[in-house]
Amino acid sequence: MTMLTRRRLLQTGAGAGLMLAGASRMAMGQARTLNVTAYGGVWETTIRSCFVAPFEAKTGAKATVSLGSPAQWLAQVEASPAKPPLDVLIMTPDLAITAAQADRMQDFTVEKIPNLAKIPRQFTDACLGKGTYFDYGVAGITYNKKTVPNPPKSFAEFVDRVAAGDFVASVPSITYAVTPIMLIWAMAQALGGSVENVDPFFDAMKKMKKNLLFWSGPNDFFNHLASGEADLGIYFDGRTWNHYDEGATWIDFVNPKEGGALAAVAIQIPKNADPLAFAYLNEVLDAQNQTRFAEVMNYAVTNEDVVYSAKLKPRITPWQQAAFPPYEKIAAVRNGWVDRWNREIGR
Amino acid sequence: MGGFLLSLFVVAFFAFMLAPIVVVVVISFTSAGYAAFPIPGWSLRWFYRIWEYPPFVDAMITSVQVAVLATVLSCVLAIPAALYLTRARSGWADGVTTFLLSPLSVPMIVIGFSSLFFLTWIGIGISFTALVITHTVACLPYVLRTVTAVHRAVPPAYEEAAAILGAGRWATFREVTLPLIRPGIAAGALFSFLTSFDNLPISFFFGSAQTNTLPVVMLSYIENQFDPSIAALSTLQLLLAVICLLAADRIYGIEKMTVAA
Amino acid sequence: MARANASRFRFNPPGWFLLLPAVLFLIAFFVLPLVDDGLRSIRADDGSLTLARYVAILSDRFYLGVIVETVALSSAVTVICVLIGYPVAYHLVRRAGCWSALIVFLLIAPLLTSIIMRTFGWQVLFARRGLINTLLVQDLGLLEQPLRILNTPGLAIAALVHVLVPFMVLSIAAVLQGIDQRLEEGAQVLGASRWRTFVEITLPLSLDGIGTGAILVFMIANGSFVTLALLGGGFQTLPLFIFQQFNTTRDFGMASTMSTVLLVIAMACLYLQLRLVRRQGI
Repeated sequence: MTMLTRRRLLQTGAGAGLMLAGASRMAMGQARTLNVTAYGGVWETTIRSCFVAPFEAKTGAKATVSLGSPAQWLAQVEASPAKPPLDVLIMTPDLAITAAQADRMQDFTVEKIPNLAKIPRQFTDACLGKGTYFDYGVAGITYNKKTVPNPPKSFAEFVDRVAAGDFVASVPSITYAVTPIMLIWAMAQALGGSVENVDPFFDAMKKMKKNLLFWSGPNDFFNHLASGEADLGIYFDGRTWNHYDEGATWIDFVNPKEGGALAAVAIQIPKNADPLAFAYLNEVLDAQNQTRFAEVMNYAVTNEDVVYSAKLKPRITPWQQAAFPPYEKIAAVRNGWVDRWNREIGR
Repeated sequence: MGGFLLSLFVVAFFAFMLAPIVVVVVISFTSAGYAAFPIPGWSLRWFYRIWEYPPFVDAMITSVQVAVLATVLSCVLAIPAALYLTRARSGWADGVTTFLLSPLSVPMIVIGFSSLFFLTWIGIGISFTALVITHTVACLPYVLRTVTAVHRAVPPAYEEAAAILGAGRWATFREVTLPLIRPGIAAGALFSFLTSFDNLPISFFFGSAQTNTLPVVMLSYIENQFDPSIAALSTLQLLLAVICLLAADRIYGIEKMTVAA
Repeated sequence: MARANASRFRFNPPGWFLLLPAVLFLIAFFVLPLVDDGLRSIRADDGSLTLARYVAILSDRFYLGVIVETVALSSAVTVICVLIGYPVAYHLVRRAGCWSALIVFLLIAPLLTSIIMRTFGWQVLFARRGLINTLLVQDLGLLEQPLRILNTPGLAIAALVHVLVPFMVLSIAAVLQGIDQRLEEGAQVLGASRWRTFVEITLPLSLDGIGTGAILVFMIANGSFVTLALLGGGFQTLPLFIFQQFNTTRDFGMASTMSTVLLVIAMACLYLQLRLVRRQGI
């Protein structure tokens, strides 16, 4: 009886040992494979060719690319902080702040990432030093040239003419994660408000109410324009050019006079990630790699040495001409804005 | 006259059901680089795009695997429970039924989020197994409910007669009950497969390079581009469904699906 | 036969053993994760326990309104699905012979089309310059102004019915098939009219199918947000706000609070419905 139990115990122990050995072998295998992240489609293929390929060539390591979205990746890291399933995260600036404030991300320094020296200081500061931006666009006014021959040049004009019924506008709904920044803050400060006072924004929305539509995702906006439901709206420059290049040549973009909100893509490395992640990041911030990325994606990149082609140059709004959102201050009051939106605007 | 009105109603119903779908199918054959209607010309380029973009194909395979496994597991777990609950007369049976159906009433995004943390904690983590488990949670109620409904319409006398004639529990189930509840299983399994295959809010939290399902890849894909390949994927799914249903029809025959026959 | 029985079932478990796999599975992989998550709703930022979030929601007229709207919308969609779904299911089973592969395919086609593209389909049809309006205004000249259809509550409800009515039709069809047609034939032979046969025989026997369809449709409608998030319509429901907590505000404590409230309401509705079905049923 005792023998039997002991034997069984031994068996269990051996089984557990085998499993542990397997697990550690897997962990060792993972040490040489970096898990990086990307949005699907052209974005992913470009990430692979511009950043993953030089990384693999230089380090001899492999990188797998996980397709998904920032909220998903952050949740996955939060669920397993000691052994994050991902080594490099693509983030929205908001989430980057949230993750940095929760102390989940590693510090970015020039020692660890030499190319960080070429990135404007503001971008790293905006991630509280625990991340930086690698590409950006501007959220301004995108319009259909066929129905809006003379587009508004500023947020103020946009509000007045939509309120007057000159055209139907499509703006991001509150279900879209970046709305508090690209719409609430951007419009409030353009109309004389600030982070502390967003009344001008809510007043403007009230005025425009009758001629307003809401998009819940970027494609939704394009559909509104393409199907004739709306004539113009608040949208991103890079996406506008992508639609243009895909054949929708009736589309155009204006950066409002007051400055549209900067819409950047942040990149971060979670704590306990594979140290190779810094080598990968150095490729992401490399001027040559970034130049190739920008040419495909139609978005501005952040390395100051990058020189854009003649086709891309006029399309790019330099970040100095965009409004740089005070993300940290906004994060502190954002939930209040969302609640107010729910009660006053209601969708 | 009543029959004519009913037919008219059914035709109108299917027009309503299919109108937006037809638009999608047409757009998947567009020659344009973006999704808009009407289309400028016909082409198969977006189907080629699916073929040449590996994540679509990989994710589709994963989605089918997860959906099939979750459906099978749901049936294995839910059918015995349904058989018991139908015949139980006491009030607590309603309580148990409510409990077993309750995953339906929790938004899937909550199931996905809480499961991510819980399954990571117990060591299952982000894996194919985790996908099958969480999808089964969401699918099980469908099978339970449809089987219960059909089984309740079966007079207990049939099963009692079989038992009196000496058939064991398993024989009674296989020879008498199973054929009678087959429409319920078919409907439940169909709901279950569709729910899993189309699921985004749960799969989203378990997505990784190895475990991405089609909806997760599609969501990530449209983050930066909206080309008609998404429409082509829908058309492809419809095509696969037609093939599967026709095959099922051929193999099992229509009359096998009905009890009356 | 009896001997085979005896040998195969030497261990003869009580009937409720049949419940165990499903119940244990759900406790392990549904209840425990939810309880784990539910702790977020009662834990304050400093780690102490609090009911403040529940009080905040349940004492706020705005959120009470949202709760009412959630249940009202799900109920409305359920009723519409029954009214539309029953005749279709009846037709399928009694007229079209049975649910042939083609008809099943037509029913589930919406569920196989990605929500993104389905939404796009609605937009193409009903936009200001969409197919329907172009037809009515330009081609037929029936209207002066294009109809405003997108982003109206009507279209949002129609889109919900569109994806949920297959659950209703197939649930009813599955039960209708099980009804012995000789009962109906017998009634007619005895002189009952078609309509009377339907009202007195068929309808009562198929109530369980309606019950099933109603429960499924109600529950799914109660927990889903994607259609409403994409098609607008101005509805404000709990699932939509829960999604917002994940997506925009990342307030997981609030998300957990709202989903607990939603779960309790849905379970109460479910239990009531089950009792009703059981009383009305056979």
